Formats: sequence, structure tokens, C-alpha cells
Amino acid sequence: MIKFQNVEKKYDNGFIALNNINLTIEQGEFVAVIGLSGAGKSTLLRCVNRMHDISSGSLFVNNVDVSKLKGKQIRKLRRGIGMIFQSFNLVNRISSFKNVLVSFVPDMPLWRKILGVYTKQQKIGALEALDRVNILDKAFIRVDQLSGGQQQRVALARTLAQNPSIILADEPVASLDPITAKQVMTDFQRINKELNMTIVINIHHVDLALEYATRVVGIRSGEIVYDGPATEVTNEILDHIYNGKLEEELKGN
Amino acid sequence: MNILKAKSITLPNGKTVPVKRSKTPLIIVVLLICCYYSVQITGFNLQVLTKRIGQFWVILVDMVPPNWDYISKLWKPLFDTIKMSLLGSILGAVFALPLAYFASSNMSKNKTVVVATKFILSLLRTLPTLVAALIATFIFGIGTTAGTIAIFIFTIAYIGKLLYEQIENADLKAFEAMQSMGHSTVSAFRYAIIPQILPNYLSNAIFCFEGNVRYAAILGYVGAGGIGLMLNESLGWRNYANVGMILLLLAATVFIIETISEYIRKKLL
Repeated sequence: MIKFQNVEKKYDNGFIALNNINLTIEQGEFVAVIGLSGAGKSTLLRCVNRMHDISSGSLFVNNVDVSKLKGKQIRKLRRGIGMIFQSFNLVNRISSFKNVLVSFVPDMPLWRKILGVYTKQQKIGALEALDRVNILDKAFIRVDQLSGGQQQRVALARTLAQNPSIILADEPVASLDPITAKQVMTDFQRINKELNMTIVINIHHVDLALEYATRVVGIRSGEIVYDGPATEVTNEILDHIYNGKLEEELKGN
Repeated sequence: MNILKAKSITLPNGKTVPVKRSKTPLIIVVLLICCYYSVQITGFNLQVLTKRIGQFWVILVDMVPPNWDYISKLWKPLFDTIKMSLLGSILGAVFALPLAYFASSNMSKNKTVVVATKFILSLLRTLPTLVAALIATFIFGIGTTAGTIAIFIFTIAYIGKLLYEQIENADLKAFEAMQSMGHSTVSAFRYAIIPQILPNYLSNAIFCFEGNVRYAAILGYVGAGGIGLMLNESLGWRNYANVGMILLLLAATVFIIETISEYIRKKLL
């Protein structure tokens, strides 16, 4: 469970990225966060795993007050939260298999960490994770040889190998073509259903958000302006979230 | 100064585009002035050069044929030289890695550490290898240890500098991903940054070793062991046939090492 209580995030330059956020996400939900670029979607996501610190209010993840954690505790929190990025953020020069194995590293003894020696169990785990997203055949191919969609699946496998209870996805399909984007979204949906992992996804494609997510959170200038089931999102609501800009675009088309 | 003034091109439709003037003519003029004064200051004399250049040919002719019998005495110092550069290069390259980590502003959070490590590295770089070797002979005595230390210091400074520049230019996306899954900074560095920099790092280390063999050859001049010792001796005795032999052997060695290093580096990149 993720619980924001009156959360405010103010950047060092004085910009208020999040203002009075109150949001509760139960275990196993599939939430899409939508809003304009710069509205605070990324910031919202990154506060959950303490990639960003919050300025005031409180934020609980599985009943742990995230803002009070330090050093090692933050890393422990992050072990339970997976993150997916727009540009995949894989190590390009090595194989998919090795990229996935990296997710076991934080729990390994020091000598294994230094030498990068994995146990057989971990190797099987990594291959299983790759199999789960249907790219087992690409396990020993260098990541930079793969297409965008395949790379995002490797990233997804890496996150699955970590076995988190929550997956945060920051624009996971923004650099993919429409067909591949749908495939990746289907992967997310399947993981959400099969493994009961909470998925919070930032997304620009409203149609995909409405199709795959069960709940939609709309953010405008750092504030939540809509929070409800994806099925109840109407054009008026989208207009409200996007400051009326969506309507202009629709008219333009 | 008309040449520094911007000029502009007017298109047929009346739009004007400002074009920046090239600064090349100005730079050439400045370089010519610098050349003139450096000739004046250093007392470079073309007449001496033309008069004495003949002497160079005399020495060169004396070197041919080289004294082949001398070669039996050269193997040990030659291998000393190679050992010195190999050991110094390996140790230097290994120690450069942690130093480069601390010197990289995107890895070390502590600004003082970054500035201090960078300062140490540039300080080491300004120290000529020959001087380092000389100082090392005062500390560790005459012999190859001193030479190894000198090469070690040079390698740390050289590889360390190249390495931290690479780390600072590395792609941090994978690094961010690893931090987000609970890696510590050092662990994320090990798994996200090292795979990126490793080919270049090894390539630089081998290139540095190649150069170090050449450096090591003259370290004997200050008593730091190796083939330079023999070179110094033979030149002292004006035994140019021996000098010829040493230079020939050295050239062959450097050629072989260069060829191997080039081959490996091509495979790496």
C-alpha cells in the first residue's frame, strides 16, 4: 500500500512540484498517472522510492514512513519497489541475461558483488524473469542489438527478478511505436493480474491509460485534480486535467 | 579590426543572416609572433644547425654495423626495463580506478574529495617521470624498484585523469536504474559504469604500458635500472656501435609491443 498524506515537494529553486497530495493506492492496483509534462507526474513517482525527498507531509509505503528512512534503510525500501524508465536504462554493452542478474546484486555477499559471480539459483531466476516477458530467446544477446520494445521487456524482466511488491513505471512506452507500446502495456497488465504487484504508471497516451489501467489519477500543476476509475473518465475530465489543451488538439485533428 | 567584425549575407527575399568571421587569420598571426620570440629567447641558431648537422651523420655511421656481440649483455637489462614498465603499469592502472572514482563529480557526493583527488592527480601529472625516478632512487636505492615506482606514479596520474573524464561523461541512466533497485553508489558504479568504461580503460592501460616501455628505457640514466643504464654507459664511452645495438634492440622491442598492443586494443573497442 502506498499512502500520500498532505505531501508537498519543493525543489531547491523554490518550484513547488507537488502540492497537498493525498492519495492511497492499495496493493494490486493498476494506476495510471496522467497530466501535462512538468505537472509533477515523475516527481510523484520518484518520491515513492525516495529517488526524491518530500518537503513536508508523510508518505507511507507498506506502512513504513519513507521520509524518515536513511542510507541502508532507503536501499532496503527500494529492494521492494521496481522502477521502469522511458529510455529503459539498461547497461548497453552487456547481454539481457547479465542485465537481469544485476537485480540480485544488492543481496549478495561482498566477494560475489566484487567479482560478479552469481549462484545457479540466481541464473535460473534471471532466465525465468526473461521467460515471463517472452524474450528468453534474446537472453544472451547484447542489449544494444535489441529493439526498443525488447529492451523495455528486458528492463521489465530485471524488475521482476527483483520480485517487488510495487512497480513504478515512468513513461514506459513513450519511446515505443504504438504496436510495441500495446504489447508492453499488456505485459504490465498480465504482471499486475498474475503476481498481484501494484503498478503505478506515468503515461502520456491517454487511450492506453484508459484501456489498461483500472484507476486514473490526473495531475495538474502539482495537484491531484482527478482520481477515479478509468471507466469513468470523460472528455470533460480530460479537459480539466489537461487545462483544456486536449480539446484544442482534438479540434485541430 | 575589420576581420573580427561580423558580416552578414542578405537573401534575395530580403532576410539577412549574420555570419561569424573566422578567427583563423588572427590565430596564425599570433602563432607567428610567438615563434619569432621563442627563437629570440632560446637563441636558436640556424648557422650552428647547418654547420654541426654533419656530426650527426658521423655518429649515425659509427652505429652501423651495430656490435652484435654486445647483445648477450643486453637481455637482462632489457627484460628489467619491460618488467619495470609492466609492473608499474599494472599497479598504476589498478590504483587509478578508485582514485578516478573519487575524482568524478557524478560519483563522489563530497565536493572536497572530488577537488582534492583531482588536485592530487594533476600534481602527479606535472611531476616528470625522470624526476620521479630520481627521487625514488633516493628513497629505494638504485635499481629497478625506483623505476617501477616512477612508472607507477606516472600511470596512476595518466590513467586516473582519462578515467575520471570517462566516468564523468558516462551514461547515468543504468546507474539511476540500479540505485532505484537498492544498489549502493559503489555497487551501482561497479555494475552500471564499469561495463561502459572497461574497454576504454583497458585500452588506455595498454597504450600507457606501450609508452612506459619507452620511458623506462631512459630511466636508467638516473640509476633507476634497465637498459638506460647500458645506454648511458655506452654513450659515455662514445662506443657508438654498442649504442647502435641498444637502439636497434629497443626499436625492435617497442615495435613488437606496439603491434601486440594495437591488435589487442582493436579487439577491445
